[in-house]
Amino acid sequence: MTDNDHKKSVRKPAPSAADNCLHINQLSVHRGMALVISNLSHQQSAGDICCLTGPNGAGKSTLLRTIAGRLPAAGGDIKCALPIIYIGHTDGLSGAISGRENLAGWAKINGFSATENAIDTALSSFATNRFADLPVRVLSRGQRRRLALARLALAPANSLWLLDEPNAGLDQASSRILDEIVQKHATAGGMVLAATHLDFAAAAQPRSLHLPGLVT
Amino acid sequence: MKPFFAQIERDLLIAWQNRQDLGVMLVFFVIIIALFPLAIGANATVLDPLGVPVIWIAALLAILAGFDRLFAQDVRDGWLDQIALSQLGLGWYALAKAISHWLTAGIPLLIMTPLMAMMLNIPSQQWPPLLIALLIGSMGLTLLGVIGAALAEGARRGTALMALLILPLAVPLLIFGTLASQSDRGIISPHLMLLGAVFALLLALAPLVAASALEIGETETGL
Repeated sequence: MTDNDHKKSVRKPAPSAADNCLHINQLSVHRGMALVISNLSHQQSAGDICCLTGPNGAGKSTLLRTIAGRLPAAGGDIKCALPIIYIGHTDGLSGAISGRENLAGWAKINGFSATENAIDTALSSFATNRFADLPVRVLSRGQRRRLALARLALAPANSLWLLDEPNAGLDQASSRILDEIVQKHATAGGMVLAATHLDFAAAAQPRSLHLPGLVT
Repeated sequence: MKPFFAQIERDLLIAWQNRQDLGVMLVFFVIIIALFPLAIGANATVLDPLGVPVIWIAALLAILAGFDRLFAQDVRDGWLDQIALSQLGLGWYALAKAISHWLTAGIPLLIMTPLMAMMLNIPSQQWPPLLIALLIGSMGLTLLGVIGAALAEGARRGTALMALLILPLAVPLLIFGTLASQSDRGIISPHLMLLGAVFALLLALAPLVAASALEIGETETGL
């Protein structure tokens, strides 16, 4: 299966229940000259929360980006017919405009509801209303993170969430909100795969996928 | 079409917040034009035929100078990742970028042009062909710039690389553009049609080329 096939399957979600899974089969990924992920297989079905663990440089972000179709796989394949929401290291927010404008723009390019009501509800999910109208460049790291995570409130119920260090820089209250939102998403039949070093959705007893580190 | 217009709307909002960049571009345009008479000397028989070509070269440089950061900010912010996963797709994204860049750089340049034409003593019956040719030419240059910015994205010394890639490709636009601007056969001259043909070709190709350049560049050098 080529990279292109993978892209197509990601972009055109098929509604049938049998495809409601993420299949990773014998996946290998290169970064530069080094083989970062080698022969990784992983299965995840609707309602699963999975924590991706491992030392720095073990390929956690690389794996998430590969599933999101942003990096080509050197071998193996990834099957996922669900819409993907990816929140990476970078928040995907423009510093020049406000958090509200950023979120509304994101909702529109994805075809999600961008009515004033929907955006307000999403913003209040992470209690960002107080600073949502300021330009993003004046906000702190944690505030930007909360605005980026507010996207999750607009995501469709069956989507696969790929979260890269979602709770890094968050205060305790926001981490709790994130845990609740993630658990609600899983209960509603969604999937979450999160790379994290911190406690994440501990109450839901997430599965864990450990990446051992550099393969040479 | 809604995601497409949402991208343009976002770029226009960002451009409005960074509107001082526009001032820099316009001053650059005026300075290049002002430097030519200073270098050539105040000899009207030499200067008069140079007016239109000088405006074209200044417009070419001013438009292309604004391109080095066209995609860089979106890549650094992580917006390109969000685009790649969205309904929009990289081709439409590149076209939206071209349109918003032309609206925020090309239009102000065109508004400035009559003033520059007056300064260079270009006779007023030559203004309509000049403006029409510059309108199409600036759109073509913008599309070229999008290709260059996408190809040079992520490269070290991207700006210099972009100029090397794009300036030779701008030659047809420059040749047909200056000829159409100086046409004595009315506004719709054969040169204007050829200029339009080059623009139409770029309109079809630029989004595709830029999309594959962004795709390759991101997957090879991304975070």
